[in-house]
Amino acid sequence: MNVLWTWIAAGLTLAIFSFLYKDNPFYKFAEHIYVGSSAAFWFIYLWYFDIKPKLLDAWVMNTGFEKYILIVPAILSVMMLTRFIPQIAWISRWAIAFTVGMGAGLGITGALQGFLVPQVQATMLPLWEPVSSSTLYNLGHSLNNLLLVLGTITAIFYFYFSREHKGGLGVLSKIGITFIMVAFGASFGYTIMARVSLLIGRIYFLFHDWLHLV
Amino acid sequence: MNLWDRLATIDRRIIYLLVALGVIIPIVAKLSFRVTPLREVRQAYEEIEKLPPGSVVLFSIDYDAASMPELQPMLVAMLDHCFRKNLKVLMMGHWPLGLPLGQIALEQVAQKYHKKYGVDYAFLGFRPGVAAVMINLGKDLRQVFNTDYRGTPVDSLPVLRNVHNYNDIAILVGLEAGATGDAWVQFAQARYNQKIILGATAVVAPDLYPYLQAGQIVGLIGGLRGAADYEQLVQVPGPAFLGMPAQTIIHILVVVLIILGNLGYFARRQGGRR
Amino acid sequence: MMRRTIPLIITFISGILLVFALFIPHKPFGNLEERFNDWYIIVSGFTMILGMDSLLLHHWNKIRRRQADWFHSAALIVAFAVTLVWGFYSGIKVGNPFDPKSTFLQYFYTYVFVPLQATMFSLLAFFIASAAYRAFRARTLNATLLLVAAVVVMLGRVPKGSGASVVLFGIALVALAVGLVLHGRSLVDLRGQLLAYGGAALSILAIIPIAKYFPTYLPAVADWIMNIPQLAAKRGIFIGIALGGIAMSLRIILGIERTYLK
Repeated sequence: MNVLWTWIAAGLTLAIFSFLYKDNPFYKFAEHIYVGSSAAFWFIYLWYFDIKPKLLDAWVMNTGFEKYILIVPAILSVMMLTRFIPQIAWISRWAIAFTVGMGAGLGITGALQGFLVPQVQATMLPLWEPVSSSTLYNLGHSLNNLLLVLGTITAIFYFYFSREHKGGLGVLSKIGITFIMVAFGASFGYTIMARVSLLIGRIYFLFHDWLHLV
Repeated sequence: MNLWDRLATIDRRIIYLLVALGVIIPIVAKLSFRVTPLREVRQAYEEIEKLPPGSVVLFSIDYDAASMPELQPMLVAMLDHCFRKNLKVLMMGHWPLGLPLGQIALEQVAQKYHKKYGVDYAFLGFRPGVAAVMINLGKDLRQVFNTDYRGTPVDSLPVLRNVHNYNDIAILVGLEAGATGDAWVQFAQARYNQKIILGATAVVAPDLYPYLQAGQIVGLIGGLRGAADYEQLVQVPGPAFLGMPAQTIIHILVVVLIILGNLGYFARRQGGRR
Repeated sequence: MMRRTIPLIITFISGILLVFALFIPHKPFGNLEERFNDWYIIVSGFTMILGMDSLLLHHWNKIRRRQADWFHSAALIVAFAVTLVWGFYSGIKVGNPFDPKSTFLQYFYTYVFVPLQATMFSLLAFFIASAAYRAFRARTLNATLLLVAAVVVMLGRVPKGSGASVVLFGIALVALAVGLVLHGRSLVDLRGQLLAYGGAALSILAIIPIAKYFPTYLPAVADWIMNIPQLAAKRGIFIGIALGGIAMSLRIILGIERTYLK
């Protein structure tokens, strides 16, 4: 049984790889199967990890206020589904408004408490920090601190578009773009690394699980 | 067409072929390269290593099959470490399409160490809402996960009996292929001071370094290289470790291609000017 | 009123409550926050299936009108139906489609879905190698910086990359020197020629420190790039994004930004 399924998996893998030669019906077929089945996954998840535990099971397990208050999210959820019926689609706005408002509120609190405050704090580094007995090491360490502060501040300035980048601001944004280029380069290097890893995974599957050559 | 023109216009299918061979040959030849674990991976390893037995580690599966080759070996190596140290493992996730991958690895490693479901580990499953889930986990785990994935009430699972919120979770391990790791840091760490280790694809990993320097995470495992580091630290060489030679060869190939492309480009520009 | 004002009020209340709860985490805001989060967990699941009707309808129409490639649309619909039926069938049989005993998990997910998704994304390895070859040109100083950072990181983060880096950087520098000499010969003014020849000499000289230090220190250089300049720039960029995100969220909560009501 598993052998048959491994062959199916290998066939689908090769069908997708065939795109490298050129677009063809095999690839298209595999691609459409992928899209179709991932769409169905959302329904399965919606039922097994949302509606069933959070509404149905909760309705059975809870009593009193905790039970009846579930009607509110249930109604909001049903409202969301009115989107599928054009005549009453506007009702879904109420539910969407709720998710958008929650999203905005969560966004503010996360960005403020979770990012801005701790990250700005972590950038307030001493520009002379003796951490070892070697002066040379301390010099290097402190220089790194300085670069970290400088890079952070100038990168922010680079994205400050409300004024023309001339004079002092021009210099700062020029330094900023230098840091940003190094960062993008590093990210690009890492991206290549990631893509290659994915290919390694698939080739490993073909030669290990399917052909048993490895 | 002279040599320079040729260098600047190699057909893409030849490049594809070179890439394919660069991966296939080292895998079939079973090459293996030792790695020296990166500091941020070692840091993650040591955080797990120093936990007393019985501590609870929560894994979050925030990736799917699209990044499986990078993150699955990481997960397997970390689970191996946790079970070997007799830690309790809980698992949940924010990426529905990938969640079963986490569960498959969990069952596989748990079996290797003869661990019992419900006693040594549990699989909570998925809830929509990312940030809302993270905040409410800090208030009351039972409010979010009233049952495990099978519908068994949480209180009837011994492993969860004493877990109420982040105070009862020693370390949270987030395996990330997108922005969910940021959310974990911004909500679980910043608000509830939860200790977090993040494992991430190489695309995401560079963006997480600011958290590492700020102490918002206590370890970072990036990409297949990070996974290979962890496999070596726990001494269970797996797909990541085996993939390193291919990884090296393709990197070298890409650099050679970049050099060739630039040679062709500059030579043609010179020629054009003359 | 029903179509505009009430949604705006709902957005305002739910958004502002979370902001209050951050600063005043006790009663009543803390509890209300928990309650609202819980509702959000339930309701946001439903947003996952919005848009699915248009996907299915689009392909259904393609089949009905026998448009080109209708066969593929049929495959999509069949895949959708099979996944749905198999998933729920397994769910009914063993309690949950993702139970280890479920055939849905054992076969469909493992041997159909995972290979499709994983292979789809592994194609990117080929495309990115080809793109690097085609687009990565040292046209300007900034572009060169980006390129060098990428190469150092790529070689510094793999085992045995350091050794290879000496050869690769050596070739690049020799090529640069040759290019500069050729460039110098085509120039007529003396200053330009001197600059070009000087540059060529410098790039040859640069091979010495690279040969001496890269085998040992390349991983450390890659480490430094990741932890200092890369980190600094990313932090700057993300601080900018966070500020922008806060501004956007405030606009939504205050009802200035209303595109979601369309």
